[in-house]
Amino acid sequence: MLPAMRTVSAPTALVAAALALTSCGAADQPTASPGKSVILITPNPVGTNSFLQLSVKGAETAAKEIGASFKLYESKDPTSIAQNLDAAVRAKPTVIVGVSFSFDDLFATVPKQHSGQQFLQVDSCAKDQAANLTCVSFREHEAAYLAGVEAGMLSKSGKLGVVAALDSPFVHRWIDPFFAGAKSVNPSVTGTPLYVGGNNPFSDPARAKSQAQTLTGQGADIVAAAASAGNQGVFEGVAGAGAKAFGVDVNQCAQSPGTVIDNVLKHVDVAESAAIKDIAAGRAGGVKVYGLKEGGVGVNALDGDLASSGCTVASAPDVVTKVKQVRDDIVAGRITVADPLAG
Amino acid sequence: MNAFLAAVLTATAPVVLAALGGLLCSVSGVFNMALEGQLLWGAFTAVLFSHMTGSAWLGVAGAVLATTLYALLLSVPAVTFRADPVVVAVGTNLLALGLTAFLMRQVFGSGGTFSSPDLSGLPTLAELGLDLPVLGPQSPLVPAAFLLVAWAAWWLGRTRSGLRLRGIGQHAEAAESIGLRVPAYRHAAVLGAGALCGLGGAQLALGNVTLFSEGMSAGRGWVAVVAVMLAGARPWLGLAACLLFGAAEALGFRLQGLGLPQQAADAAPYLITLLALVVAAATRRKVRTV
Repeated sequence: MLPAMRTVSAPTALVAAALALTSCGAADQPTASPGKSVILITPNPVGTNSFLQLSVKGAETAAKEIGASFKLYESKDPTSIAQNLDAAVRAKPTVIVGVSFSFDDLFATVPKQHSGQQFLQVDSCAKDQAANLTCVSFREHEAAYLAGVEAGMLSKSGKLGVVAALDSPFVHRWIDPFFAGAKSVNPSVTGTPLYVGGNNPFSDPARAKSQAQTLTGQGADIVAAAASAGNQGVFEGVAGAGAKAFGVDVNQCAQSPGTVIDNVLKHVDVAESAAIKDIAAGRAGGVKVYGLKEGGVGVNALDGDLASSGCTVASAPDVVTKVKQVRDDIVAGRITVADPLAG
Repeated sequence: MNAFLAAVLTATAPVVLAALGGLLCSVSGVFNMALEGQLLWGAFTAVLFSHMTGSAWLGVAGAVLATTLYALLLSVPAVTFRADPVVVAVGTNLLALGLTAFLMRQVFGSGGTFSSPDLSGLPTLAELGLDLPVLGPQSPLVPAAFLLVAWAAWWLGRTRSGLRLRGIGQHAEAAESIGLRVPAYRHAAVLGAGALCGLGGAQLALGNVTLFSEGMSAGRGWVAVVAVMLAGARPWLGLAACLLFGAAEALGFRLQGLGLPQQAADAAPYLITLLALVVAAATRRKVRTV
């Protein structure tokens, strides 16, 4: 997941670790349950974090379908993940699910120590992958391309922008394909990415807002947000200038009513529940990649409940039609979206 | 150009307020490195009180009060018990990071970012009927920040209490020998810095944006500390240093748009800091040798 997770800085973690010592978290869950079971460990409290809510939904759905019990171990913060993982391993479930790159370190070692236990990592993959670790990753660039198509059709000034957290290869998955998608429908559009950077690039809404204002000041009328916790700052800046924005990962349209055109979605629930069912059926291991074809990524324009999503693209039926057509072209292989990570 | 100047002022205002607080402490002889944590605490409490009361101005008042109280964590150990202010400040900075993240989960029920359409932010001057160029899109706290700098320059240079504060910083024993209560002045300076950081945090969370996000002070307090080191006891110089950083940031954004790599734009404030320190040191040496 792009947002939220990377926002905990080292000093926070230190203090949080001290706080965590005073509580036992999920470590006192009852051990060993007969029959099938699924345990999901989150790197942070689920709370109103919609990405984590989706991951819980996915695991619950899968557990129900394979007739397993479901338990959720919420970590108070990334430092209490190890305690929860320890408790989960002792409970010996059918599969232990960990969400995000916060599990990279633990999943590089723990699965090897417990070779009889199946592990699933969602939205990242630990290095030196063990045979009993399955990974789920996403082709975010395909969804970003679709968002670009919408932006290309809706932009009046022909100037697009992206406010991204960092100039790093992974973050480029939300930038380059966005501009490529826009150029595919309107070759004359220009795209400018600006990066938040600074001391806390994934949680600096003030700088993100300033970036968005810089872009609208230069004439951009659509700005895609890829700034994690800074996204809300982007929406504020864009709304102030009467421009429009795109959200990321989950439906962010309601966060700034009337401003957000659509979102580059990651259907973590779909991908996760499919992977859990695969593992339960004995098809474990490897990296399962979810793109448009597998329904693992998308935009709200493709969803049935678009009308109630609060996204402004709902009022442009021609754009929705075009996006659906481009989606079909990508799925059928008639269009290939270049992956910035592939260099 | 107006948009650029407006961006500079917006980016600078919270830093100016924090730096002014740090400067008052530095003048009184307490090196205040707790600005970063206090800014963050101010931002959090501003959003908290604004959310609870529905009024941005009560949010500002709450932030000023809460951050003044938070500054007791520095002033009591450092002034009353003569602990090393740097060590205490590091502690309070870490505490602010952890405590705001923790309270955020307790109060708002979620980590990461808290924002809500109901959360009331500060009005802009334009909304208040003062549609000036550059200042129009700013909150009233932005001009207030610059007026406070002018007030501090006047106070430190022209009033009895201001001169006494400077005297205490330059030679505490001498000040004591003429009957000044040194700890009282220092407590006042540190608590005053807390109030200013509360104001800066409120501007950051309710003026620059309308939300709270974990760690959102994002180094602004450290920039303020550097500005204090550059400025010595001269508020106008501190303001100039802050404006320089703000300009570097706003210019960096624009240069990025013209193709400057983000990493280079990111390095700009630090390069400017280094340059300024070198220039300041060089001029100081020149003065001494003459």
